[in-house]
Amino acid sequence: MAGPEVKDQYKVSPFLVFYLVHSVQVGVGVMGFQRISAKAAGNDAWISVLAAGLSLNVIIFLIYKIMMKEKGDLISLHQNLFGKWLGGCLSLIAIGYFIAMAITVLRTYIEVVQVWMFPDLNKWIFGTVLLFLVYYCLSGGFRVVAGIAFFGVVLPFYLVLTMVFPLFYGQFRDLLPFFNHSFMEMYEGAKGASLSYLGFTTLFMYLPFIKDAEKSHRWAQGGHLLTVLIYTLVMITTIAFFSTEQLDKTIWATLTTWKIAEMPFVQRFEYIGIASWALVILPNICITVWAAGRGIRRLSRISQQNATIPILIVVLISSGVFARRESIDLLNQYTSKLGFYFVYVYVPFLFVVQYIKSKVGRSG
Amino acid sequence: MVKKMFRWLKKNHSPDKLKNLPELIRNLQDSGDFLHHESKQQDSSFFIYYFKTLVHETELNDHILPYLVEKPIKTLEEIPERVPIPGVIISNDLKEICEKVMRGFVIIRLNANAKECALIPSQVKKARAVTQPEVEFTVVGSKEAFVESLDTNIHLVRKRLPVHELKAYELTIGKLTNTKVVVLYLDGIANEENVNTVKQRLEDIKVDQIVDSSVLMQLITDDRNSPFPQLIDTERPDRVTSVLCEGKVVVLSDGSPQALIGPTTLVEFFSAFEDYFVNWIVASSARLIRIFAILFSILVTPVYVATLTYHYELIPKDLLGTLVSSRQRIPLPPILEAIFLELSIELLREAGARLPTKVGQTIGIVGGIVIGTASVEAGLTSNVLLIIVALSALASFTTPVYRMSNTIRLTRFPFLLFAHLWGLLGVTVCFSFLIAHLLKLKSLGRPFLEPLYPLRVQDLKDAIIRFPLKFQNKRPIHLQSEDTVRFTPVTKKEKNDFHE
Repeated sequence: MAGPEVKDQYKVSPFLVFYLVHSVQVGVGVMGFQRISAKAAGNDAWISVLAAGLSLNVIIFLIYKIMMKEKGDLISLHQNLFGKWLGGCLSLIAIGYFIAMAITVLRTYIEVVQVWMFPDLNKWIFGTVLLFLVYYCLSGGFRVVAGIAFFGVVLPFYLVLTMVFPLFYGQFRDLLPFFNHSFMEMYEGAKGASLSYLGFTTLFMYLPFIKDAEKSHRWAQGGHLLTVLIYTLVMITTIAFFSTEQLDKTIWATLTTWKIAEMPFVQRFEYIGIASWALVILPNICITVWAAGRGIRRLSRISQQNATIPILIVVLISSGVFARRESIDLLNQYTSKLGFYFVYVYVPFLFVVQYIKSKVGRSG
Repeated sequence: MVKKMFRWLKKNHSPDKLKNLPELIRNLQDSGDFLHHESKQQDSSFFIYYFKTLVHETELNDHILPYLVEKPIKTLEEIPERVPIPGVIISNDLKEICEKVMRGFVIIRLNANAKECALIPSQVKKARAVTQPEVEFTVVGSKEAFVESLDTNIHLVRKRLPVHELKAYELTIGKLTNTKVVVLYLDGIANEENVNTVKQRLEDIKVDQIVDSSVLMQLITDDRNSPFPQLIDTERPDRVTSVLCEGKVVVLSDGSPQALIGPTTLVEFFSAFEDYFVNWIVASSARLIRIFAILFSILVTPVYVATLTYHYELIPKDLLGTLVSSRQRIPLPPILEAIFLELSIELLREAGARLPTKVGQTIGIVGGIVIGTASVEAGLTSNVLLIIVALSALASFTTPVYRMSNTIRLTRFPFLLFAHLWGLLGVTVCFSFLIAHLLKLKSLGRPFLEPLYPLRVQDLKDAIIRFPLKFQNKRPIHLQSEDTVRFTPVTKKEKNDFHE
């Protein structure tokens, strides 16, 4: 079993955590999180989205508190807190969660492409090429993964500008009145939005790869805040653009708003948007598969290269198995739920256990 | 395996096999241009041997022989004192003697069986005169270019950099060609690790011939399986001087008019040296045009294929009319049409490059105008695509580094295939491959995409936009220079009545 230490030459600068956090969050979720969130919270959904986002700032704070004390990664944390066997089992669950995220992202993206661009896209061939691309990136080490995260944020950033088009047609009075939903409805809305925020738990795995990890805290918070800002803006535009009934029937609200974008040389902007989205999806799969591979490498004697290939095959096969819309929706729901509990229950739990253990350890 | 290599090594090093000097001389006499004669005087005589094709015979007759014959020679030790030329040596080391005589030294022996001899340098120095740069010609600026002679090239750099910190580390590479290679760097400015990396990689080279610095480039580059050049080659001594001052390392090789520069980054391939000769606003706009041209050159034909194969809906009504009417008589799918045109442009370029200049121009006219127009009229290609392909070929030639423009044109073909496979989605996937590949590349161990990734704001001052010279007062971070400050800018602002 390899230790959590990382050679200095493989480390990346702390400011890249901004992109690592932001790029793993923005993925397939943002294409259609509006419907799920607005189902319960209606025109207050943007408040749910904002509140869910800000609450996660606290969770990121907790993650940093835990990791700064641990000076390792999730695997070593589990081992120190729960011992070799229980800790190892929990680590395996976490690895399974990372793989599940990769599957969700890949499958959902292929679904979007099938529905919006190529109805007869061969998911096996496309998946293989995309995962080969992921492998090509991962084989360059964490430096390249962080680079892909950087370009995956910077290059498609122009898509934010396309949110201007629906503004021309939006009815902003739809947002009023504020707070006309109960707290429970808003909570449900926030829960629905959480899938689109997930993924930053991969911080647990790559923090040892950051130079002066402590300094990266503000970058992590900053990356997350950018996500919150974008999601809230997208949510507000969506509420203004769609009526509640219409939104309930629109699975990919963001893509639908792209349809009205019009420029002198481009109509039907969603083709460009979905194609560019491949650049957003890539760091998502890269980081999650990387985290899973790193976890296996840390748990066993298998090198990360040898761990990654089977993971990619698993991702390809299991994402190919989900064929129908309902099963993909189910997959999204389960990953979402798993992530929700991971973030809101498990991270605070880890924090408390670590705190108690350190107190007990000191007194004993 | 090792034994086999060893045997090969032995075979080629004839001095190892020959036992003594007389035997060596007998061996050398197999060549017709190896001359020898005996100078007989009253009480002493000496023998003189040399290659007439390597030795400056006038110099030998005017400046060496008179000193040897004025008084009888008793011992070999007298020769260095008598001949007023530096570098005269006395040796009995066969390997050294052989090496020197092959480089134009004259052998002097006192008797026919002596095992020791004196070696007098008298090389003939035949080199092309310094001429104008042809590949990297600039309207303003120096008109000197490197030539094939290593000494001349070092001279061209040294006269521009008259400081003792300029070091020229020399080594010989190639078992047969014994090519002299020089690593130039500024001591105390260039990063020691970079210098050592270059030296180490040069020393590790095991080949029999180095005919040009381009060969060296392939042997010392970081990733040999990448179509992207990771070192810049230049024929301009002023550019070499300028990068030396930045803290880079330069490799010169004898027989090659091209110097190699490293470590380098991707953006440097798109900055011409002329950018430093003009005002920063003009220079920056030229750079922006070039970057646009490169993206245009790589992406436009694939995007054409992608939209016309899959996404007709993407094009607005009015524009679609133009496209459809230009394509309505074309029997081929867009991908074949594009590949046909791209290939014919490549064909023209290759034919033009292989032919003498004057014929090349004719080929350009015949190919460009006649074939282009004819293929549109024959209904093989649409004229819109003809415009696009011609423009993107033109755009690829804006790259200031010749090697890079070849790479750019090559990159287009995988993009075309992906575009045909999955439309715009394929273009993005291929683009992601390109980015991942560039992210993995390194130049002498330093990241190739710097200053974009890792993002270094300070180095952006001379990347996509060239900021004014007074901002260039620090050496680029990626070179990890030992002395980061170039100069302290003095700013004096002229004031007029408005400021008073």
